[in-house]
Amino acid sequence: MASLTAQQREELIEELPRLKRYCFSLTSDPTDADDLLQITVERLLEKGMPEDAHVAKWSHRVCRNLWIDEIRSRDVRNRYALSESAADGAGTTAANTDDSVQLDRVSEAMERLPPEQRAALVKVAVEGCSYAEAAALLEVPIGTIMSRVARARKALAEDLEWSEEREA
Amino acid sequence: MADDRKNVIDMDGSRVDDDHLLSMYIDNELDAERTIALVLRLRAEPALRTRLNALEANERLIRKVVARNTHAAPDRLAAMLRAENVVVMGLSARLKRWGGAAVAASAAAVLAVVFNVNQSIVFNPMAMDVQLASALEHSPSAASGWQALDGDRGFRSVLTFPAADGRWCREFLMAQSETQWRGVACRDNGQWVNQVVGSEVFLEQETQYRPAGAADSEKVARFIDETATDVALGPQQESALIASGW
Repeated sequence: MASLTAQQREELIEELPRLKRYCFSLTSDPTDADDLLQITVERLLEKGMPEDAHVAKWSHRVCRNLWIDEIRSRDVRNRYALSESAADGAGTTAANTDDSVQLDRVSEAMERLPPEQRAALVKVAVEGCSYAEAAALLEVPIGTIMSRVARARKALAEDLEWSEEREA
Repeated sequence: MADDRKNVIDMDGSRVDDDHLLSMYIDNELDAERTIALVLRLRAEPALRTRLNALEANERLIRKVVARNTHAAPDRLAAMLRAENVVVMGLSARLKRWGGAAVAASAAAVLAVVFNVNQSIVFNPMAMDVQLASALEHSPSAASGWQALDGDRGFRSVLTFPAADGRWCREFLMAQSETQWRGVACRDNGQWVNQVVGSEVFLEQETQYRPAGAADSEKVARFIDETATDVALGPQQESALIASGW
């Protein structure tokens, strides 16, 4: 399993857009998503995968493991401080257009979702995966996907409602 | 929403509330019977209809947010995947952001022990010898495979790059028994000299790895930062350089 086959490389190239959205769903930060995608590809190139591996599932698993290790290695307090700082700054962007403000609000609400809920939501709501497809990619039961997607939507709706009421 | 109807839908043994039901409706995951039942309720219950509209409106915003934040995957990644002989360089920016994980996941892999060959008194299995120097001098880089050296050692050059001071350097792997080492040697006045060497610890499961300690990561990152430019040779360039005698 020292390298990727030509077929696996081609499939991985096809998978890159979805893998990038998955990276974003995990990190909720575009720059972190880019970095995560980069090291995922490097990791796959370096370690390869079994010839009979499902490229999409394998690459998602590698990506997820890398992100889990990244979370473990981060300074939680520093991350918390950064998010607080970003939240403080968000209230000062009055000059933004309404649409941009609205998207920022949604983006922040998504960031507050648990990563596993965010990942399930992006797979289903953005990529159009069925629950079965998302379950296979994220390696959880179908019922778990259903539950995570519903809870994510509910949390987002409540978060956004609360945000609008606060600003009204 | 009709609160008195929450948590009354039984589906596959699970009890789900209206938000779960609406979520499944949005995703087209309800069977025909439950879809019809929900549509009838949506006609009769304005609050439920409003809730569905709100969820669907959020859905459109979610797609916009993801689209805004996930532009196309960089072409360089596709190029990396298409390349026969993969060269991974330019780690420094990511190393600063990702700390140990980036090093562990990069071509530098997992470095458990890193030391400066020229300063260490620790037994160094990669001390330069005739065979290793010859391999560095003549062997092309490869993504896989090992060149046998004496002492049951395996050698593989990983990449060749110009150092900032003008020397040519090669990153390489050495395997002996179940241990692997990764090192960088530079050609100095016609002689190959090891610059930095680290033993590597690979876990059994290929999708897992153990991040190096922060100190080790910093040493490796520092060395790469200080030594390499961001241009590594392609196969043809490297072949020509070897043929020309460096």
